[in-house]
Amino acid sequence: MSYENLPSSPCFIDNRARVVAIQSSMKARGLDLYIGSRPRTLSWVLDAFVPWRSYLVIPAKGDPIVFTFIVDSTRLADETWLPQDNVRAYAPMGGQDQVSALQSCIQDELGLSKGRIGVETGLSVYTPEGNLTKYEWDALEAALPGFELVNSHELVDELQIIKDAGTVARFREASRIVDEGQKAARVALEDGGWKGMTETEIAGIGALAMRRAGSVSEWNFAGLNEISSGYRTALGACTPPTTRVFEAGDPLMLDFHSLFKLAMGDHSHNYLIGPATKAQRRHADNFVDLVATVLAAYRPGRTPSDMASLMMDRAEALHCADFCYPGCEHGIGLWGDEWRIGARNDGPFPYWTDPDHVYAKGEMLICAMQYASPDEKIGFRYENPIVLFEGGCEALSKYPLAIEEIR
Amino acid sequence: MSEMYTYLDAAWTVEARKRLEAALDPEKMNGITTSMADIYEACPDGKSRWLFVQCEGGKLARFDVGEGEPPEAEFRIVGSYATLAAISKGELGSQKALMTGRLKLKGNMAKALRLAPLADRINKVLSTIPSNY
Repeated sequence: MSYENLPSSPCFIDNRARVVAIQSSMKARGLDLYIGSRPRTLSWVLDAFVPWRSYLVIPAKGDPIVFTFIVDSTRLADETWLPQDNVRAYAPMGGQDQVSALQSCIQDELGLSKGRIGVETGLSVYTPEGNLTKYEWDALEAALPGFELVNSHELVDELQIIKDAGTVARFREASRIVDEGQKAARVALEDGGWKGMTETEIAGIGALAMRRAGSVSEWNFAGLNEISSGYRTALGACTPPTTRVFEAGDPLMLDFHSLFKLAMGDHSHNYLIGPATKAQRRHADNFVDLVATVLAAYRPGRTPSDMASLMMDRAEALHCADFCYPGCEHGIGLWGDEWRIGARNDGPFPYWTDPDHVYAKGEMLICAMQYASPDEKIGFRYENPIVLFEGGCEALSKYPLAIEEIR
Repeated sequence: MSEMYTYLDAAWTVEARKRLEAALDPEKMNGITTSMADIYEACPDGKSRWLFVQCEGGKLARFDVGEGEPPEAEFRIVGSYATLAAISKGELGSQKALMTGRLKLKGNMAKALRLAPLADRINKVLSTIPSNY
């Protein structure tokens, strides 16, 4: 078993305490069982990377049992804290398909014949959210007469929102690793190193440096290390790298991602490949000003909407509001949890961030800002995990905020 | 001419136990400790039967056939008499029977997969018993 989680480590996570917290919340909600299917739930409870469709069965008492695709069950058993016998596989075999395996576990092994089962479903812009599908819901209902399925993802979301010390320590390390990637990229680009280089190549240079520094993955399903150069910097917030070759006068955005013990490093840094025009320099200075303004303002008690207003007011004063996206964050947690802000689904649009969510001490988010002037073929992106403390926030990537001109 | 046995009756059970004890090398059985109950549904006389195999440290610890509730086992395999008999005859692989849904397995699939070759070794021995099915 390779799982390591020493209580003396700053990255220690009390996994059984998390299970007990879920079970306590289950009791309060009148749930007899919980079946987690979202990667964010699986990461949080199992402290292991679970990429295949899996079902985490959490009984009212005792350790959970996880069912995963048979090709990955042995690896998962090696990498989680759960006892090996609690890591099960499903397979295309009699009695072992997903629904039969769950049915047998619930009825035969746990001895339940009726009750309320919490499950996870909903709506998400994030493709790998892992919500229970209609097919799964119907099949489980048919296989488990006497049971009522209840959408209960908020139970887990509420427990995840305030980050414990071990989680924050892991994010600090993931951010330190991302900074190593940014440093290596800077070295590779300077003194004409950028000439002939492609977006994919600088993505790989950053990836190698981060792997050497301890990252196990560039994690981001939207393109691993996202890179944009030239006109592509103005295309928005999703730029998987291409084979575009850098040119003099390009803006350049490097959005690097590292993974350390399921904590996701995520830092975007911008450059101007010289010679930069006055207009480019003005846009760059505006963006740095906006990011600095926003970072200085994050603190408990703020809301997404007042942060957006604050940013747009500053943009208006800088005469660059036309180039700004009116939002400055997205959610973050252990692998699989990287979208919605807040824990409750009570905003004006279901499953979108509640603009009036009030940030609390210990909450973590990605300060994420986008700036684009498509007509001028220029744009910038800033991302950095921040953790809120009384009176402010800590930006976990320590890479200096600047948009340098490199030649 | 070798003696013919009737599949799953008392004499067949004694013969099967004898052959398994002789043939199963604890080393080749990976020193395994496990138990398995095969549940035969719709036997020719209309009854259900079970076949129970228990290994300790790779050695056969118990081999029994019976009716009614089977002993507690780590794995339980349920199928028709025809399917399980075909496996004992060596006409059908247990893996294929599971993959086509003709057998249903209850137990930890992740562990069962590692035990599949060992189950095949047991079935190979059983297939050598001249039997009337």
